Amino acid sequence: MPPADPKYSWPANPTVIGTHVKRVDGPDKVSGRAKYTFDIARPGMLYGKIVRSPYPHARIVSVDLSAANRAPGVKIAIVWKDPNDAQNNRAMFQGDEVAAVAADTEEHAIDAARLVKVNYEVLPHVTEVAQALDGTAPQVFTGGNVVPTQPQQTGDPASGFAAAAHTLEQTYSTQVITHVCMESHGTVCEWDGDKLTAWISTQGINTARENFASGLGIPQADIRVICQYMGGGFGSKALSIGGEGLICAKLAKMANLPVKVMLDRKEEHLATGNRPSAASHIKAGVAADGTITAFDAETWGTGGAGATAGFPLPYIYQIANRRRTHKDVFTNTGQQRPMRAPGHPQGSFNTEIMMDELADLAKMDPVEFRIKNLPPLAPNAMWRSYLPEGAAVFGWDKRHPTGDTAPGPIKTGMGVSINTWGGGGRGPSQAHCEIASDGGVIMRAGTQDLGTGTRTLVAVITADALGLQPWQVKPEIGDTLYGVSALSGGSTTAASISPGIRVAAVKALDALKEKVAPTLGADPASLVALGGRIQVKDDPSKGISWTDACKQIGPQPIAVDGDWVPGLSSSTTSGVQFAEVTVDIETGIVRVKRVLVLQDCGLVVSRLTAESQCYGGVIGSLNFALFEDRILDRNTGQMVNPNMEWYLLAGMSDIPQIEVRLKDQPERGVIGLGEPPTVSTAAAIALAVRNATGATVRSLPLTPKKILESLPQKA
Amino acid sequence: MAPKDELSESAKLSRRTFLKSTGVVSLAATVVAPAEAAAQSGPPQVGPGEVPVHLNVNGRQIDLMIEPRVTLLDALRMRANLTGNKRGCDRGACGACTMLVDGHPVYSCSTLAIEVQGKQIRNVDGLADGDKLHPLQQAFCDKDALMCGFCTPGFIMASVGLLEKNPNPTAEQIKKGLDGNICRCGTFPRIFEAVSSVKGVQRA
Repeated sequence: MPPADPKYSWPANPTVIGTHVKRVDGPDKVSGRAKYTFDIARPGMLYGKIVRSPYPHARIVSVDLSAANRAPGVKIAIVWKDPNDAQNNRAMFQGDEVAAVAADTEEHAIDAARLVKVNYEVLPHVTEVAQALDGTAPQVFTGGNVVPTQPQQTGDPASGFAAAAHTLEQTYSTQVITHVCMESHGTVCEWDGDKLTAWISTQGINTARENFASGLGIPQADIRVICQYMGGGFGSKALSIGGEGLICAKLAKMANLPVKVMLDRKEEHLATGNRPSAASHIKAGVAADGTITAFDAETWGTGGAGATAGFPLPYIYQIANRRRTHKDVFTNTGQQRPMRAPGHPQGSFNTEIMMDELADLAKMDPVEFRIKNLPPLAPNAMWRSYLPEGAAVFGWDKRHPTGDTAPGPIKTGMGVSINTWGGGGRGPSQAHCEIASDGGVIMRAGTQDLGTGTRTLVAVITADALGLQPWQVKPEIGDTLYGVSALSGGSTTAASISPGIRVAAVKALDALKEKVAPTLGADPASLVALGGRIQVKDDPSKGISWTDACKQIGPQPIAVDGDWVPGLSSSTTSGVQFAEVTVDIETGIVRVKRVLVLQDCGLVVSRLTAESQCYGGVIGSLNFALFEDRILDRNTGQMVNPNMEWYLLAGMSDIPQIEVRLKDQPERGVIGLGEPPTVSTAAAIALAVRNATGATVRSLPLTPKKILESLPQKA
Repeated sequence: MAPKDELSESAKLSRRTFLKSTGVVSLAATVVAPAEAAAQSGPPQVGPGEVPVHLNVNGRQIDLMIEPRVTLLDALRMRANLTGNKRGCDRGACGACTMLVDGHPVYSCSTLAIEVQGKQIRNVDGLADGDKLHPLQQAFCDKDALMCGFCTPGFIMASVGLLEKNPNPTAEQIKKGLDGNICRCGTFPRIFEAVSSVKGVQRA
């Protein structure tokens, strides 16, 4: 459905939109000029350090700040968990905030934090999900460690099973992983009387402003939040400024000096969120013709202390008779925060492995089997088209049946998976456009760029509307002074801000046309902006350069506003991915050789940065498949690998050949691409491993140990 | 002389220096001349508290007063306003802090500033020539070898170090040369393309 005013419609033949435009903030980032929150230095700034519970569950009996207060360079020390506050005097996970200090240097702050004496009463903890489920763990959480949710049922699973030619009963699972943003969480807070300026590594400057306001009990109007550059969020910096945000603001107010609190890597792993675990005990039945007739799943997962762990299941495939019951398991670990495509990577893995196992039972090719069980083809459900196309491109016809029989220890295999995501956009997402008499163009929006390319998207849409090149547009984002705009989460930024930018740019151009029309002796409505000129449509001889046109503007720039309007964006993507791996059956080591991505996202605005999102998503999912794991000590409940050495992440040598094919759907408007490409690579890799070895590993990560232990299945 | 030999040569020298300074050599000797014994009276001590540290960074002398425990990374970032290289893990595991010291890539988060006095330190803040980007920086922009950009300075310095020693590396050599750097956004394929596209980089 097009926008109400057709002049705002996306151009049929865009000049800049959809092309490969270099990231506009590339030079600032590669030169080191870009200032992230971690880089901000304010006059007189203090360094804050948080004291955290080493125990997963403990009561704070007392906090003695006296030695810390006497330590060199210390200005402020505060208690964060008041021992006398019965509602708030327990640490519920390793890493829970207990106290904080601020000092003149970071070294002094670290020393002072060590001098804070906390008396803990160590309490029994629950960190092993299996023990929570079988009741052998201590009861920690009010209302129980395990919370069931409402069962969901469609159709008649019993008759579905009766109609099945083959049945399957298996358990699948995925692990807790952490976001590992390269830039840790943190903020610099500076007060001017009762007004607060906060630089914060955030996915939402406006949301952060609201968080500061409600946490501090001060008006939003007295707060300015700035985030020009940030080093990754992946969901962990979207909804909350965290304990560290409030702590920093309070330290700064008490000290009457700016304070910087940036977390270290251990704190990041423990206390800034994670992707919940997800497990499914599935019974499924399939008819002889490959239709899945029945599905019955009991699922569970942990999102940490008092947080949920839901995920969609079954994922995408249409099953008429299905039942699902889910339990949230609370553990004394850091609470989950949204992590890139929340729920979908879990749902994908927990479904797709079953799909290939059922396909084998029905003696069908996995691609064919999937098509048999997909929803009908639709613009927001394109798998029936993408699967055969991808299979042809990938060489799927060369895939051998499950189990590579080639001689030698290196086995090769292929796998496939599908994905979907919502995305979409909404207002308010305001944009402000100014054109000055010197030809300069500003497009301003109170949104932020996580590395997704938002700045570039702003420049591209504006330049396209004005007949200019992106470098001629100055995008201004990352400051709440620039107005109200979208949070960057759920792959909604592009679809939320693009319409308002388009509207503002078109309106600004309309205003310029009014100024220029008399010079050209033409009706303003007949003018177009093309190739750096304003001219009569189809008559280039009646035109002037952009620079000359702007000279007509006068001393006050053209200044107009736009906001989100319907008709320029929509929601729901579909995609498919294929993976090829080698598995060394002597070492259990998997090498991913190739990944093919077919992905739609509606109208592709900035093609180069869109492709980069796809590479990044695939690699994130590869990490989920093979490497990452938040490992807890079985006895102490503490995290064993809160670092970047033993929390494994792919390096350059682990990266496969990745081919990205964006499936343009310009008629659907802008949708969103941050999350779709990271959903299902892990499943495709796991299925490629299964195809290679002939044995099924049903849990992530696919460690060499698990793969070696699975091999006897083949015999 | 191949780089490998240089490194083992300097390693040998530092072990000899270490043994002399701790007096182990003098203890092991059966006869020690008085003059020699007097010279080897114990390890040199600096601090506690801030001490003068002089660093040669990007061709310029920087004079700091910092505690001996301050890392090269933190000295530059927090005391010299050279914030180009970032702190990712502070444990020598992610590479965001990679700088070149006498041409060798080092994890500056795990290098004490006081240890690298008298050496030529280069970090990303000094790589461009004013507004003119180094060919590698330009290649990163051209190939979109970055997203959030936080790991980028470390990758760039590691790449500069690689190409200055090996101007025409094979694909395997590029991968191995950059295996010490992590990117969470997943820009590896484009970093590889960027580095592959830059040949014959000479030492500045």
